[in-house]
Amino acid sequence: MKAFEWVSPASVEEAVSLLKSAPASKDVDEAARPLAGGQDLLTTMKDYLTRPVRVVNLKGIRGLDRVEGDGKKGLRLGALVTLAQVEEHAGIRRDFPGLAEAAHSVATQQIRNLGTVGGNLCQRPRCWYYRLEEAVCIKKGGSECFAATGENKYNAIFGGGPSWIVHPSDLAPMLVALGASVNVSGPDGRRAIPLEKFFTLPSEGSIRRENVLKNDELITEVTVPASPFAARSTYLKFKERESLDFALSSVAAAVELGPDKRVRQARIVLGGVAPVPWRVPKAEEFLKGRALDAESLAGAARLALEGAEPLSQNAYKIPLTQTLVRRALAKAGGVSA
Amino acid sequence: MQQQSPAKKKKKIKVPRVVNGVDTLVEIEVDDDGSVAWGPNDKHALLNHRLPRVDGHVKVSGAAEYTHDRRPPGMLYGRVLRSPHAHARVLKVDASAARGIPGVKAVVASTDDPARKELVVLFAGQPVAAVAAETPEIAEDALRAIRVDYEVLPHLVRAEDSVKEGAPKVFADPKEPNVEPRDKRGDASKVAEALKGADVVVEAEYRTPIIHHSSLETHGNVVDYRGGEEATVYASTQGTFTIPGDAAQELGLKESAVRAVVEHMGGGFGSKFGIGVEGMLACQLSKQAKAPVHLMLTRKDEFLLAGNRSGSWQKFKAGATKDGTLVALHAVQYRLGGLGDGSQAGQPYIYAAANAYREGYSIHTHEDASRAMRAPGHPQASFAVESLMDELAYKLGMDAVEFRKKNLKDAVYHRQLDRGAREIGWGRRNKTPGAGAGPLKRGMGCGIGTWGGGGNDECKVDVTVARDGSVSVAVGTQDLGTGTRTYTRAIVAEELGLQIKDVAERIGDSRLGSANSSGGSTTAASLAPSVKDAAVKARLAVAERLSPLLGGAKPEEITFSNGGVSGGGKTLSWRQACAALPAAGVTGHGVWQTSLAGRGVHGVCFAEVEVDVETGRVRPIKMVHVQDIGLPLNRLAVESQMNGGMIQSLGMALWEGRVMDAKLGLQLNPGFGDYKLPGALEMPELVPLIDDEDTREAVIGVGEPSIIPAVGAVANAVHNACGVRVRELPITPDKILMGLLSERRGA
Ligand SMILES: Cc1cc2nc3c(=O)[nH]c(=O)nc-3n(C[C@H](O)[C@H](O)[C@H](O)COP(=O)(O)OP(=O)(O)OC[C@H]3O[C@@H](n4cnc5c(N)ncnc54)[C@H](O)[C@@H]3O)c2cc1C
Ligand code: SF4
Repeated sequence: MKAFEWVSPASVEEAVSLLKSAPASKDVDEAARPLAGGQDLLTTMKDYLTRPVRVVNLKGIRGLDRVEGDGKKGLRLGALVTLAQVEEHAGIRRDFPGLAEAAHSVATQQIRNLGTVGGNLCQRPRCWYYRLEEAVCIKKGGSECFAATGENKYNAIFGGGPSWIVHPSDLAPMLVALGASVNVSGPDGRRAIPLEKFFTLPSEGSIRRENVLKNDELITEVTVPASPFAARSTYLKFKERESLDFALSSVAAAVELGPDKRVRQARIVLGGVAPVPWRVPKAEEFLKGRALDAESLAGAARLALEGAEPLSQNAYKIPLTQTLVRRALAKAGGVSA
Repeated sequence: MQQQSPAKKKKKIKVPRVVNGVDTLVEIEVDDDGSVAWGPNDKHALLNHRLPRVDGHVKVSGAAEYTHDRRPPGMLYGRVLRSPHAHARVLKVDASAARGIPGVKAVVASTDDPARKELVVLFAGQPVAAVAAETPEIAEDALRAIRVDYEVLPHLVRAEDSVKEGAPKVFADPKEPNVEPRDKRGDASKVAEALKGADVVVEAEYRTPIIHHSSLETHGNVVDYRGGEEATVYASTQGTFTIPGDAAQELGLKESAVRAVVEHMGGGFGSKFGIGVEGMLACQLSKQAKAPVHLMLTRKDEFLLAGNRSGSWQKFKAGATKDGTLVALHAVQYRLGGLGDGSQAGQPYIYAAANAYREGYSIHTHEDASRAMRAPGHPQASFAVESLMDELAYKLGMDAVEFRKKNLKDAVYHRQLDRGAREIGWGRRNKTPGAGAGPLKRGMGCGIGTWGGGGNDECKVDVTVARDGSVSVAVGTQDLGTGTRTYTRAIVAEELGLQIKDVAERIGDSRLGSANSSGGSTTAASLAPSVKDAAVKARLAVAERLSPLLGGAKPEEITFSNGGVSGGGKTLSWRQACAALPAAGVTGHGVWQTSLAGRGVHGVCFAEVEVDVETGRVRPIKMVHVQDIGLPLNRLAVESQMNGGMIQSLGMALWEGRVMDAKLGLQLNPGFGDYKLPGALEMPELVPLIDDEDTREAVIGVGEPSIIPAVGAVANAVHNACGVRVRELPITPDKILMGLLSERRGA
């Protein structure tokens, strides 16, 4: 890893100003970075993918590691809340079960003990070209996406181009499904950003980044509103290797059922298939007013994958994700798939 | 190969044994030529029992010092600069900036030697320079400060590209073509003729990717040389005695002045012989800095430049008649060993085909050379032929086990197939692949292997009994994690009627008696006989001293058991007995005894898996491996070998494989994130079964045979479960889903 300056602020304001005042860098990947659990940042630094001039340690800031609220008031997660805290929290497990499942699905116990909510949302892509220092693709300032015509079994089937990464976060699809927002602090003060607007497609934002955060901005908190579907939420993740893996594909689902067991509203967000958490409104609409049965589940699954544009090696993600959509909705709705 | 026993004439002798807790003399048969014998396999006090590993505690507690843990005072950290190009000419290496970094103590570059002509790197990862510095971080910085000018040349990392007409050449030497013929056997025209008479014909291609050894400890050495006449090399190696010569050459010392130490090493699986390029660089750095250098490869280095199991690409045309007889088999076998030749057992492997023809080639690519890996060439050959046999059996509508028996002459295979089938519950299997309601389908499959093994005459062992009663056994051999320390002690303890804890072993040091390298499953079969011989000699030497105290009993008739020594109607405790020894104690010098080792084993594996046909997930349920092995020195260790073999083959079947980008010439998964080794959650129930019907009183290695048959067994189980035949490993969900899709389209 490249030598860097280490600073440990005591407040969010100080952290922001340390990010802002860092020496100017030639490349975005050399800009100062905040460090939370370090489970992603350190790996990118060790592989020289990021080479921050300054590392701003957030762990000395008090009060960012609290879980507050519940299913009635809504949930507030400090940016430094660990994934282990989320998966073990009794209130979250009861009122936002999908969120606890999503946290539990991440990596290993050791990584979840250290990895934080803020870091999870801001982690960098896992595309193996991105992770290979020698392969300088567009994401790293090169001129080509090697995955587009190369080994793309793990890449995107939606929203791709000119980079075909999939967003690696497991919390993100679930939090988008639950309608969460992030509170962000920067030199110009604070703002709240709905998570759905936080992530950017390669064709929309800077291709060197996966979200709207500026270099001197921090996530301080994630808020999840109370909703009629949070208690019926679930996260279904399919890993190639169960012991430890990112999602080949995943589905965050939440449903509100009426007394007649018909769907009042549904949220379906796909993970592992697009550069951002991929919400599928057509499938959500389709379910409105329908009972969750084999036919409606299959219909929703079909619509969810409509318009997918697989690359040469990832067409399998279509049937795989269809299955996950069916199974996730069935689980959320308490019926059999 | 066929079971081979040591040749022997027999005679009966009486030896002491504990029967129902009582010391008695039992009659056993031994060789009549005066040579040593183990005696019947079921009559041992310690051997052929379940012996916990003597180094287990230091290993799990972290106290064991591996090569990686060595920190001689004043030590520097070495790092290797790898070529980022798969094929390039090195024009210039400028290390001046690196040398100027404070803390950098030595830099060596491939271009240092003026005698050397131009350097052309032939794979991405090939070392072009190395540095030694006070910390690993400084060493990393120094690597990045070295400027290398390359002229990039066209590369080939795919076999298909390499065989194309007009493809660039892998090697510059015109005598080394991209495709090199290896072997050819049989008559192709006879096979073609016989295929016409077959009732069913299967034409199929099977592929296996390059597999990585993935040893827990990476390759490397700690070279302790500070100038002067002597050096010590701590090595992570499978051959203690392969190190001093290699190191001496680099250091410019006499071979006898270099000592190799291999106290504990973290696995090699065939990839760690000799000092390697990393060891040569460590020596050069140490020599330049006149300080010890710790150069262990990083995990990425390990993937890129430390060897691999060659990939394979095998094309078959085979036919059988209605009664299940394999009448013809035509095989074209490509070994994909990168710059190396690769390895692959010849087809039809263990099967008898009335007419068989094969031709074999090495296809070269710009990838690091393959090395030996646990049963080189066998899992590849076994996977392909076992898949093929399955395809023929299904096409004939014949039971897959019956079909195999029909085409295997050796009765040992028949009994092992029967035992494995019983254990897995073969009768429960899916009769029609893919049948059954619901998305979760169960399936079973089997596979078969064979291995040679055998021992050789290289181990010199000393067993010393001291006057204070302590017993030690010394030999320079290395323990790869296979349990060498444990059986070495056990053999001596059993011979002297003691417990394992009463014996201390010293191994892993080139100053001790010589020993062979651990390759080809030959360690136990070479070492154990020498240990036994030394122990027998030590016993007789002690007995000779005691004869006067035991009523003049003949030394051969003095018995050693239960911590006591008896003869002439008297019994002495071990301590009393040893007190009669001379001040220096007595030592037995053991050499290899042909009568104690055998060779030739079989091995059958059955697997049961569950396939989720809606996601393509394969969940291994159960694996059974049946293995003949002669005398199991330590049943626990043998079972552990078999478990390890099943796990490694499961990895090869379902998850592992190098992935290269053809355009960039780079490996995309040089780490444990994307090179997916199975973890705890992937483990099925593992049932290792020692085939005790093999009553050979001979030691035979079991490391390699246990990795061979399971790959095919798992692949066949997947097919039996879901009806998809995946002919290219690893069998990942994408291949199953796409296979199901194309089947549905076909139907
Ligand atoms: C082997 C392995 C497996 C993994 N598997 C998974 C998986 O299955 N699913 C998954 O979702 N993730 C996975 N991860 C990724 C990741 O490590 C974790 O998800 C973790 O939550 C990251 O959190 P962290 O606090 O450690 O982040 P850090 O590494 O500290 O930070 C990650 C990034 O976010 C930035 N950052 C951190 N906090 C903030 C903040 N408050 N505001 C703004 N930016 C911030 C950092 O600058 C950095 O760029 C895996 C990681 C490893 C090493
Ligand atoms: S998908 Fe993105 S990260 Fe991967 S190669 Fe293409 S540009 Fe690079």
